[in-house]
Amino acid sequence: MNLFRFALDNLYRRPARSMLTISAIALGIAAVVALTSIAWGFEASWQKANDARGTDLIVTRIASENTMPSPFRSEKVQQTLEAMPQVKEVVGLLSEMLTVSEDSPPVFVFGWVYGSYLWDHLKLMDGRWPNERMEQVVVIGSLASEMLHKKTGDHVEIEGANFEIVGIFESSAVVENGALLMTLDQAQKITDKPGKVNVLNIKVDANASEADMNAIKAQVRQALPGFVAITSGELVRKNAVVRLSKAMSNATILVASLVGALVVFNTMLMSISERTREIGVLLALGWQRSTIIKLIVSESIILSLVGGAVGILIGVGITWGLEHIELMRGKIDAIFSLPFFFAVLGLSVLLGILGGLYPAVKAARLLPSNALRHE
Amino acid sequence: MHFDDGQTKALNGVDLEIGAGEFVAIVGPSGSGKSSLLNVIGTLDAPSSGELTFQEQAYSKIRDASLFRRENIGFIFQSFHLIPTLSALDNVVVPTIGCAGSESEFRARAEDLLIQLGLRERLHHFPNKLSGGERQRVAIARALINRPRMILADEPTGSLDSVNATQVLDILSNIAKQEGLTLIMVTHDATVSARADRIVKMRDGKIENTHGATS
Repeated sequence: MNLFRFALDNLYRRPARSMLTISAIALGIAAVVALTSIAWGFEASWQKANDARGTDLIVTRIASENTMPSPFRSEKVQQTLEAMPQVKEVVGLLSEMLTVSEDSPPVFVFGWVYGSYLWDHLKLMDGRWPNERMEQVVVIGSLASEMLHKKTGDHVEIEGANFEIVGIFESSAVVENGALLMTLDQAQKITDKPGKVNVLNIKVDANASEADMNAIKAQVRQALPGFVAITSGELVRKNAVVRLSKAMSNATILVASLVGALVVFNTMLMSISERTREIGVLLALGWQRSTIIKLIVSESIILSLVGGAVGILIGVGITWGLEHIELMRGKIDAIFSLPFFFAVLGLSVLLGILGGLYPAVKAARLLPSNALRHE
Repeated sequence: MHFDDGQTKALNGVDLEIGAGEFVAIVGPSGSGKSSLLNVIGTLDAPSSGELTFQEQAYSKIRDASLFRRENIGFIFQSFHLIPTLSALDNVVVPTIGCAGSESEFRARAEDLLIQLGLRERLHHFPNKLSGGERQRVAIARALINRPRMILADEPTGSLDSVNATQVLDILSNIAKQEGLTLIMVTHDATVSARADRIVKMRDGKIENTHGATS
């Protein structure tokens, strides 16, 4: 018999209450796991898309806070950028969330400069790429093909225009896999934004250093008022949706921790009130007050740790489910990692300690003679 | 020595000396201060005035009452106060939780004590599967596990029938004698107090008289 076994035994004595407490903590932790992994995954997925394209810097409007930065006329900006030293290639990109089929949710439609480096990272699984700038055709990601039930040779209607699907591709980024891709010229035409792009992608010379990148950023600020050159990570972090989802996940962590700690607090307070006489007996038998504190805190940590572990399982389950429902497919790519799970378990332990500390101290401060008289 | 619990004067001018290895029975009507005296001796309550000493150590100088209890005092209660979800053996080991020493040694000693008290077949029984007498024997083993120098028993036979009461009393007084332990027992039962070396009779928080059981 040691302290840990005794603590376990005490929890086992009230199985229903222990289970309820564990369930409450598990639900909170599950929400934390689901929202956090999705928020991070959302950020990582966009970053992965940008990184996979081989883009070093992205030029966008300073004030742009939308999911996709607001479109601008690219011609002059592009010329200015191309004139800068170390800049190897500048290509425009237009992106819209559009409904292409009545019975499926909206999908991303990307317009990329025909023949630019952006296309290089994609793997053609079936069919072919567009043959020229103005060809009215699309290639679609493997996930989009599944979601829309379309294959090479089929047709889709986008913004009133009929497009033939000439190929299916695969990308390492889930946002691209779930998207339709056409040439920039076609995208500008159907969305009625001639000459406009959301962002300009810059590829710098292979030997460019961090200092060179910073120099380009500074030049953009100077030569192109209202524009900013940032890395893809910075763009994603600036993104309103990414920021919102991260804020939501942070709020959930806060609320879940608070609720979890309160639940543990309530449970342990009830438990010590029921065990007042027993605590009196333990004190009379020579238990140190510190041992009482260790016992109660151990019980609350066990509760919250088990709740945390169950919560991780539920949270992973919820996320997996969300990734696979039609509406969300191709839009989220949750990230789980061992350090993340350890952090969640750490959070569980923390709320166990927070919730258990006051009841533990209260129990330890009982006067043994009063506690022994307690009915 | 005086003790008041904030409302009443539970002990009023009590002056008592108990020798090492002595068996003292404290008797008296309800509310006479018997249990208060036992609690003060057991450091569960502190006297509001006056001083106690244990083998020349003043109680007021004790820095850690829990540690003092663990090293010197074994408590036995009228209603046993065993932990219902622990086996007899585990109940006996409970006071050693948090003590320095090996768990297996504590366990072995607990087993020895229970066997010595005739509970060889009951080691792994839970309290609800034990008779009153058996429960009190488990409680006695629990009181002895940390090798105390003094046993404080509050009506240890109060919940037992006469056969079990006699048995428990025999065990207690024999062990106390063998080990040279001081045994201080609060009781209502004249047959119990008759076994003591000395009877301290209390009334209204005062010692009415004190005399040898046989005198």
